Order: sequence, then C-alpha cells, then structure tokens
Amino acid sequence: MFLHNVNPTVKALTIIGTVFLLAFVFDPVTPVLYIVWTVIVTFLFGTFKKRYYLYYFIPFTLFAFGMFWTTIVFSDTASGTTGTVSFLGMEFPTEDIWTAAALGLRVLAFASLSLLFLFTTNMVHFILSLIQQLKLPPKIAYGVMAGYRFLPMLKTEFQQIRAAHRIRGVNRPDSWKEKLLQYQRFAIPLLAGAIRKAERTAIAMESKGFTGAKERTFYRPMKVRRKDWLFPVMMFGMLGVTIAFSLYFGYFSWYDGQL
Amino acid sequence: MNNWKLKEIVVMSVLSVVFAVVYLAFLPVGKILVGFFGPIGYDLIFGIWFIVSIITAYIIRKPGAAFLSETIAAAVEVLLGNAVGPMLLVSGMIQGLGAESAFAMTRYKRYDLFTLMLAGVMAAVFSFVWGYFLSGFAALSTGYVLAMFIARIISGAIISGVAGKVLSDALAKTGVLSSFALGKEYRRKRAA
Amino acid sequence: MSQDVIRVENLTLHYEERKKPVLSRLNFSMEEGENMLILGPSGSGKSSLTHCLNGLYPRELDGSMDGEVYVQGRRTVSYPAGEMAQHVGVVFQDPETQFCMITVEDEVAFGLENLNTPYESMVEKVEKALSWVGMEDYKNISDLSGGQKQKVALACILAMEPEVLILDEPTANLDPVARKEFIQLLKKLKEELSFTLLVIEHKLEGWLDLLERVLIISEEGELAYDGPLHDHLKTYAREIHEMGIQLPYATRTALERGWTPPYPLHIEKMPSADLPANPHREEPAGEVLLKAEDVHWKSILRNINVTFHEGEWVAIVGENGSGKSSLSRILAGIQPPGKGTVSLHGRSLKKWKENDLRQEIGYVFQNPEHQFITDAVYDEVAFSLQHAGMKEAEWTRIVEETLKFCRLDGLEDQHPFLLSQGQKRRLSVATMIVEDQGMLFLDEPTFGQDEKSTSDLMSLLKEKHENGTTIVMITHDMELVDKYATKVLVMNEGEITFDGQPERLWSRSDLADHHLELPPREQWKRSVLKRKEPAYVSS
Repeated sequence: MFLHNVNPTVKALTIIGTVFLLAFVFDPVTPVLYIVWTVIVTFLFGTFKKRYYLYYFIPFTLFAFGMFWTTIVFSDTASGTTGTVSFLGMEFPTEDIWTAAALGLRVLAFASLSLLFLFTTNMVHFILSLIQQLKLPPKIAYGVMAGYRFLPMLKTEFQQIRAAHRIRGVNRPDSWKEKLLQYQRFAIPLLAGAIRKAERTAIAMESKGFTGAKERTFYRPMKVRRKDWLFPVMMFGMLGVTIAFSLYFGYFSWYDGQL
Repeated sequence: MNNWKLKEIVVMSVLSVVFAVVYLAFLPVGKILVGFFGPIGYDLIFGIWFIVSIITAYIIRKPGAAFLSETIAAAVEVLLGNAVGPMLLVSGMIQGLGAESAFAMTRYKRYDLFTLMLAGVMAAVFSFVWGYFLSGFAALSTGYVLAMFIARIISGAIISGVAGKVLSDALAKTGVLSSFALGKEYRRKRAA
Repeated sequence: MSQDVIRVENLTLHYEERKKPVLSRLNFSMEEGENMLILGPSGSGKSSLTHCLNGLYPRELDGSMDGEVYVQGRRTVSYPAGEMAQHVGVVFQDPETQFCMITVEDEVAFGLENLNTPYESMVEKVEKALSWVGMEDYKNISDLSGGQKQKVALACILAMEPEVLILDEPTANLDPVARKEFIQLLKKLKEELSFTLLVIEHKLEGWLDLLERVLIISEEGELAYDGPLHDHLKTYAREIHEMGIQLPYATRTALERGWTPPYPLHIEKMPSADLPANPHREEPAGEVLLKAEDVHWKSILRNINVTFHEGEWVAIVGENGSGKSSLSRILAGIQPPGKGTVSLHGRSLKKWKENDLRQEIGYVFQNPEHQFITDAVYDEVAFSLQHAGMKEAEWTRIVEETLKFCRLDGLEDQHPFLLSQGQKRRLSVATMIVEDQGMLFLDEPTFGQDEKSTSDLMSLLKEKHENGTTIVMITHDMELVDKYATKVLVMNEGEITFDGQPERLWSRSDLADHHLELPPREQWKRSVLKRKEPAYVSS
C-alpha cells in the first residue's frame, strides 16, 4: 500500500513537522479534525491488523483524558472571566476546560500521527533510510540495530530471572531497603548478560568486515522518489486546511503565551 | 564518533534498549503517583528517566555517551509505542543534553558521585524547562511549579545520579565491564 | 606449489588483567586447503587465537601481542581494518550473538555490504550462500533454532568467500542432533568449495572424519603438539584426556577399561569382548512423591499425567521447544498449570506455602547466573538459611559443609559472576541443596560444560541421589541418561510420548523422529551384534 512505500525518512520528517506545528495550536477543534484525517489516511492507505491499532490507540486515549483531567483540576484559576461549565457535577471555568481539551486532544493527535508511522514502517528500512538519506553514521545505525535485536531475547531473560529468583525466595521484599535491593538483584544478571552478548555481537560484526566506514554498498538501496513527496504535501496541506477551517469558524487559537 | 569502539556503541545501544523498556514500565508508576499527588507525582520519580545517560556515561566515559544513550532510549520508546509519540524523542534529546552538559563541564575528566549527581540535576533542569513550554505547567500555580521543579531536581540527583552509580558499580564487580572504562578503573583500584 | 595461507611466528599474547600469558610462543603455519583442528582445555586461549588470526587483535586488544601473524604472506597488522574479512572468516560459538539484522537475507548481505560488493552481484551471492547451507527458505532470524542460526552464520561467512574459515567451537551450544547435522554440512561444503578450514574445539566427537591435522594448546597457552590427528590420538589419548579435552566415546572407554594402544576412535572399532552389561536400574521402591494429573498449559503442554517416586532419577528428553522446560517448571511449582493439578506428598501445590515448597523442591536453572542474588559465593549459599531464621552457629556449619560438598571451599569471597563455568554450575546446585531439599530439578545441567566439570557435577549429583534425593534432569546427553536415569520421559510437541525405563526406550525404532539418538553404549552393543550377522546382509 501507498503509506508503506513512502520513503521512511520523508515520512518521519513529515510526522515530526506536523507534530511540531500542532504543538503551537491551542484550540481543541483543529486537533480533532486532524486526528480524524490522520486516522482515515492510516486506515485507507496502510495495511495492518486493525485490531492492533485499537490496542495501541486505547491507552493513548486514557493518557489524553488523564492530561485533560489534571489540567482542569490543577490549573491556575486566576483568569476565570468567561463563565463556568458544569462537568461531572462540578463547576469549572470555561476557559480552563477549553485549554484542557486542547492539551488532551493534542496528545491524541500526536499519538495518531506516530501510530501512522509505526504501523506502516519497517524499522530496518527506516534505519537504512536514515543512513542513506540523512547520513546517519553507519557505526551508530548498525550498533543500534544490533541492540534493538536484543529486545525479544531480553524478554525471555527477564522471565527466567524472575522465575529463578522466585525459587531463591527473594520475590517478597518486606522492607523498603529490601525492595530497592531487589531491583538491583534483578538488574545485574540481566545487564551483565546483555553487555556480554553485546560485546560478542560487536566482535562478530567486526569479523564480517564492518568498520563503520561511510562508504558502503547497500543490499536495500533507499531512494527518495518523486512520488514520495505526495505524502508531505498531503499531510501539511491538510493541516493548513484544518487550521483554515478553524480560523473561519472562529475556533482557532495560536500559542501566545497563554500557558 | 571515530574514537568510539564498535563494542562501546553496541553496549550503549543495548543499555538504551533495556532502559527504554524500564522507562515505559515506570510510566504507569508515575500515573499512580499523579493520582495521589497531582502532576508533581511524575517529578518525584522523574530521575528514573535520566538513568541510562548517567550509567552509560559512567561506564563508557566518552563525549556523547549521555546524549546518545538517552536519545536512543527515547527513540526505542517511540518505536515501542509510547503515549507521547515523536515529541518524546525531542524530550529524550534534551534530557540527554542536560546530563551531557555536566560531564562536559568537567571536560570528561571526572566521574565521581558529585559529577553523576550533577548530571542528574542538569538533566532535570533541562527537561523541566522544556516541559514548561511543552506540557503547559504555566497553567499551574507558581508555588506548585516551584515544588515540582525542586522535586525533579532531587529525584534527578538521587535516582539517576546515586542509584545509577550504585547499579554501575555493582555491575563492574561482575567483571563484564572489564574492557570498558569503568571496569578498567575498577581493576586498577583492586590491583592497588 | 602451495603457499602458506596462515603463518604464526612466536605469538605471545598478554591480557592486561592477567599476569600469565594467554598464548605463549606459538609457532605454526597452514597450507591452502588444509583442514586443521585446534584442541585445548577451556581457558587455554583458543578463542584469543581466533582474534589474533582475523586481525581483531592487536587492534581491539587490552594487553600486548608479540610475534607475527601472516595471512597470505602479509602481516595482519598491515591490512586496513575490514579488509581481513575477505581472507579470514569466523563462525563463533554463540548462535544468539552473531547477527545484527532481522532477516536471514539482510544478515548475509551485511558482510557483502561491508566489502563494498556492488548491488547486482550481491543479490546473486546471497542466494548462492544460502543455498549452500540449505537456508534459502527462511526469513526471520529470531524464528530459527540454534542449529539453523549457526548455518546462517556460516552462510554469512561463505558469502564473503574468504580463503580461510575458522570455526570457534561452532557446535558447543547445539544439541547432539543439530551438532551432527552441522558437521555433516561442513563435510559436504568441503567437497564442493575450496577453503582452508580451522576448527577450534574442546570436544572431539564428530570431527575425526573431517580433520587430518591437530594442534594442541596446553593450559599455559603453549603448543603441546602439532601433527596428524588420528595417529596421535590412538597413542596419546590419555595425555590429551588429562588436559581436559573431551575424547570420543570409544577412546574414552578404552582409557577407562585400560585397553592398550592403539586406542579405537570410533564405536565401530570397539572390541566385542569388553561390552558392558546393561546398567543396573533400581525399580522405584519409594512412595509417590510428586504427581501431575491432566495438566495443560497454554498451547505448550497437553494431557500431562506423570508420577514421580522417592529415590528416582528421571531424565526428561526431547527436541528443543517440545515443552521440557515448561513441564519441569510446572512440576516444580514455579509456574502454575493452566488446567489440572500437581500434588506433592498428596497435597496440591496450590495449597503449599511458597516457603515450605522451596524447602522440598530445588530447581537449578540452565543459566546459573540468573539465580545469583548476592556478590559473594558464601553469601549466596547462606542466603536462604539466613532468611529461614536459623541460628548462626547452625547455618554457618551447613554453609561450610555444602561448600565443601560442591568443592567450592576456598572461593567464599569470590563474586559468583567471576567463577568458571563449572564453578558457577556447582554454586547454583549448592544454593538448591543447602536446605536439604528432597527433590531436585535441573535444566540441562551439563550444557556448555567441559568434560571435567560435567563429571564433577555428575558425581556430586550421584552422591546426593544415593543419599535419597529424587532427581529430575532435562538433558540432551543420552550417555548421561543411560548411565544414571532410572526412568526417562520423552516430550514431543507438549505431550509425554514415552514414560519408562531407558532400555525400553532404546528398543524403540522411532528415536530419530524425536530428535533423539541412541546412547553410545547401546550403539556399541548394536555394532557388535551387526558384526556377528551373516555376511549376506548388504551394507
């Protein structure tokens, strides 16, 4: 599908660019519209298991609501001049609700954008593209890739250590000190194993002739093609349209030091 | 980057991956604390989110270690699906820069407890300033914001500085760091 | 005229942290196309030699390297970094740590990219290398078994077409069947391709047919022998054995029985006269100790019904991923079953208090380091006693006894992580027997251990067993099963497909389907029987 074929660097920069712009928007309407747009684009032009998207999206929603709620409860109530709104049986200044909703929805807009990226991008391709397009030093790029591979291995190690400690009877700390000590006991075998493995991996990579030199050929050449630009044009264009819409109906509010 | 050995880079990235997972695991803890104490809840344990930069810098002792490790950890968090999304990457970089600044101040010569705590404090300061603009702390009362700031600084000094050192030292005792700066120092000390 | 591909002159290697040299005044050379085995006890600097030969040292060395190493007539230090990979390729021991990419294809290409191979020929080379090792139909590295990973690691090196191929204990982490397959593959490749082969090992089994020359390095890192492998082994097997090198079964048995040289190297060459009788296996006389009824767990275990009696020594065997570890963990009460019950002394494990249960059942994990929780050997053993609220005088006595029993006395203040592999293993056993647990589970206790530590560990377990401990051990080593077990459980796809005495298992014809092989004693017996068969049986 279209989104999977967009050059990963172009895609990432577009996402970061839109996130950056959205960070300056302080009304709830613009982000809502943009969330709808992003989700539609993701579902229309991406192929992935839709169920997983929901699994990822729900915690974001909770987080966004948390943000909304704390902002209302803990905000500075000095400015309250525009009347109040009743919400969950309590009275809040309209302005605070408005800002809180903007903050919460902004988080959700960020989330939908990053999910668009996560669900339509192969991480290895992304890193390869960073090397080829953004000149990321191969030494870092491949080092990170090697480290990233450790994730599933670390998960099994973690479970094993937990079971092994349980056998030793250390899983029920009875004091604060004991609890802290337990974190350390857990971390040491996990980290020690990981460091040893990392070192061996580095040796294996060097034995295959890896020097970190910038000149290298690529088995998967990543190129920026003309059609890749369609994605940023689409995303930034729509952001412009949304802002225009909000402006037209008088909802729009830009960052001017209100927070 | 040329004076970095590949094994140092791979070890750094593995540490970043491990702590990216730890960072994610502590988010719900933060949320619970926020439930009890309000936004300051996060600040109480904020130091945990700088710890990889301090551990890596302390172990490898090369310019860039603090910044890079924190950045990679943030990137991994984003890839794993963090609730804040790409903005987190920027936060990670800023925290890393904060910690890095402390080591730069000593010209990468001193790696004692004071420097490590200072790195935690600097990471806290940098991240707070960034958070002030990003998350809208200004909506909160000044006294509260000040309390948050102080909590975060203390947390940075203790959790990332002190605990980071304790953890790294315990790791050095296992011998796995023998070809890294910290392991070498540890060996020299034992020999002496 | 053939030229020396590798020449080592007066090589001495020092590590910063050690006073004694790892390698000391080593001299040898290899001709093109030669096949050589390097033998040495663990800790003799064999792997360090690999790093010297492929140019990683002195570049990455914390220490000093004296003498010269020539590859293709040129000093290794004069090669620019990275170029060496075109001449010397290495497959390392650990299948988990040789890759940096996600897919098989990308990994093979990684080496070629490093060599700046143009895109067009890269595609072709990747394909070719994978077809050599028979791994062209696999995608993600993480889905592969250990044996398959080693094949991919081999393909990565072959793709770069080095003149010299070094294999550094390539099968140490593989089960016996995968090990055989890997050696078989090498044999085939050796016929198809031309490369100089250097294998580093501490275990001889399986390599004899492939390698003609042997270089033996002593524990001090000195050259002890350089010459033809077979002849030397036939005469000097005892000396080699005493260095801590694991001999093939035939030769080992010859030494044990005091046969005179020349010693046999293969089971087929073992005499019929000295064939031992089946080991004596006691019937379980004790009471029912542990019982699993209709246990299921996730999609990993199904219909598990099994009973353990006091005084048994049970071996659990089966292919990797057949559910052996999961089963043992559920039996030991570390993991509650999804369905069904496990009961100890007639009482469901669910009703046992964790602390009481731990005093009954010990469990030794595959990786000993996972179980360590303190930073000194003494504290490690004392830990559970101290927490049980015992009097100091009493626990110090027990700790000292246990340390002595596990031959760890004198190491009290060492950090557990700094012990040798064998000591680590014995320490993990020590922590699990210190409370005098009546039942002990061990997950592949001899995995990755050299012969000396294996035999130390087994004699320790034997003594424990004779004193009444019930032992349940997961293993791939059929020789151990044959020697010690009173009962075997075979796991296959989450089910117990065999439960009975070892002899009954050996008589089954479907062993290979379960990734199992006959124990060498049984192979010997069969080979003797075969020899007696009339000549009309065509071979």
